Amino acid sequence: MKKITRILIANRGEIAVRIMRTARKMGIETVAVRTAVEPDAMYLSHADFIHEEDDELAEIPVFLDVEKLIAIALKTKCNAVHPGYGFLAENAYFAERCRDNKITFIGPSPDAIYKMGNKPVARQIAMKHKIPMAMGSTGSVANEDEAVRHAARIGYPVIIKAASGGGGRGMRIVRMESEMEKMFILASREAEKAFNDPSVFIEKYIENPKHIEFQILGDTHGNIIHLGERECSIQRKHQKLLEEAPSPALDEELRAQMGETAVRIARAVGYYSAGTVEFLLDSDRNFYFMEMNTRIQVEHPVTEMITGIDLIEQQIRIASGEELTLRQKDVKLAGWAIECRINAEDVQAGFAPAPGKIEKLSLPEGPGVRIDTGVRAGSSIVASYDSMIAKLIVTGRDRHEAIINMKQALDKIWIKGTKTTLPFFRMLMRHQAFQAGTFTTSFIEKDLDRYHFSSEYEETIAAWIATKLFTEENLSSGKPGISFDQGRELTPWLLRKRLTQF
Amino acid sequence: MTPEKPAIKKLYALSNEGRKFAFSLPLKNVVRVNGRDYSVELREDEKYGVHVLWKNRRYPVEIVRTKQNRYEILFNDISHTFTVETPVSMQRKKALGTAREKSTTLIVRAPMPGRIIDVLVREGAEVVRGEALVILEAMKMQNEIQSVVSGTVVRIGVRSGQNVMKDDILAEIKVR
Repeated sequence: MKKITRILIANRGEIAVRIMRTARKMGIETVAVRTAVEPDAMYLSHADFIHEEDDELAEIPVFLDVEKLIAIALKTKCNAVHPGYGFLAENAYFAERCRDNKITFIGPSPDAIYKMGNKPVARQIAMKHKIPMAMGSTGSVANEDEAVRHAARIGYPVIIKAASGGGGRGMRIVRMESEMEKMFILASREAEKAFNDPSVFIEKYIENPKHIEFQILGDTHGNIIHLGERECSIQRKHQKLLEEAPSPALDEELRAQMGETAVRIARAVGYYSAGTVEFLLDSDRNFYFMEMNTRIQVEHPVTEMITGIDLIEQQIRIASGEELTLRQKDVKLAGWAIECRINAEDVQAGFAPAPGKIEKLSLPEGPGVRIDTGVRAGSSIVASYDSMIAKLIVTGRDRHEAIINMKQALDKIWIKGTKTTLPFFRMLMRHQAFQAGTFTTSFIEKDLDRYHFSSEYEETIAAWIATKLFTEENLSSGKPGISFDQGRELTPWLLRKRLTQF
Repeated sequence: MTPEKPAIKKLYALSNEGRKFAFSLPLKNVVRVNGRDYSVELREDEKYGVHVLWKNRRYPVEIVRTKQNRYEILFNDISHTFTVETPVSMQRKKALGTAREKSTTLIVRAPMPGRIIDVLVREGAEVVRGEALVILEAMKMQNEIQSVVSGTVVRIGVRSGQNVMKDDILAEIKVR
């Protein structure tokens, strides 16, 4: 392998900024792609070079277009590509096309991506290596009759998952045989529509587990280590909202056991680069392999904060053929880190996406606070991409201190123009089950009667504001004291709401 | 309002959940909570935009007026909806409220722009409260749009694969 001198960033948003930051530190040049949807995006200002892509009429976004990205990399003389997360990050064909064109793909081998990306294949490999797993079908399940037979063997409830799925989509829980036919057809149809592959498989559904994942680092010389775990049980619709490292549920013994298992899975597919092995942990502290993500994760910063290791730098070094200088015994977990995903979502409407333009933005800073973001005041959160505004990462000497620091940081954030997940996190930091660390993946759906925190004063003040507006509009002879829409742009969010009145 | 009319002495803000907040006119920069008065100020500046100053802290405020006397107030990132009534309109509302009939069909609208992944019910189908009607994929998430009432599906407004805008009609349900 050769020295990496210029990287094409095949991604956008905060992860593009994150990668370019490390590349700059290492003296490596970067190329970012400007698209028609986000011509003024913040990530562009972090690149050494910008490729102008006229994709306004393109059928798929450029970040999903394998051949287009290869052509851009060649044209801009990049000798490496970093895919970030999402888009083509776990596409074996893209990694292979990079290899064909002598471009270094900053990630694992196409073979490892394929094996871990196809869930039935991954299950078979894990089974061969005696990795603990929830009982289930060995391969794909052809029809509902076969599904019923599997379920009878392993016992209800079961979960039907898309073979090519991931990211929490295309899953159905079946609690009794009479539901199977309907759920099987639904899951299969959804899988076909979402992933172009109708095949599904069946697993025992683990009730109320914790989601624990291990960060793996492997090099091309056969060294593989783990950097401890991340606790990701705070999820809605199987999408993570908050992650922390370490997990309040693990002790040294269980950590060593799960870490060793994660390394064993990675070794089974000859894994190199950064990767994540996801487990479910049940209430009896049994753990089950769920899947391996063959990319950098959204939540990687919490691991960086407690290990002091720059994971993007490690990815780049490994891709250049360098040997890991770290040994397992050198990995020390120090302190506690929590990450909140500040998304443009309406917590009061069940976390519905709330795209819009960020009018004002002020993010906290200081010791123990890290912000990873791809937006600034004036940026838009567009419906074509995900809803992330920023990742707020806060550390403390222990979990208790990290929670206190997070509570303060959440009160300092100032975002106007769209609704956000901030009220949810303000509630969460005050919630007894969160503070105790006993929550599971069903926490949001089952244990919460409301998704947001609001003090008793807030509604009264809001009522006062409404009354004040009414008096200014209807009762005062003069002009209103404060104008809410003159002298500033209407946000699309506001505008859409107004249009619906007509 | 014309100046000849008798001066209004009081206004009421009624929340969506039916809570009533009374304010004396002329409106002072004071809010009473648990029997104590606190000063409150509405301000605007370049850095923070419109905000409220309350106990030496700034809170973000955004206003979405949805109807003549109906206000959606986004205060500290949480939205609250009120109708503001005068003593006279309050009386009228009460009188109307008792006579008003409940609407018998429910229109289900898209809560966000996205793509219809699947339509799970047919016209004429009986659905129960909480039953999924369509699956809408938006911003990398599949969202089950559920019926909030039990009833009969009288109309389906979308088909699988179709892109929808926010507030497009997905289905119409006759309440049982």
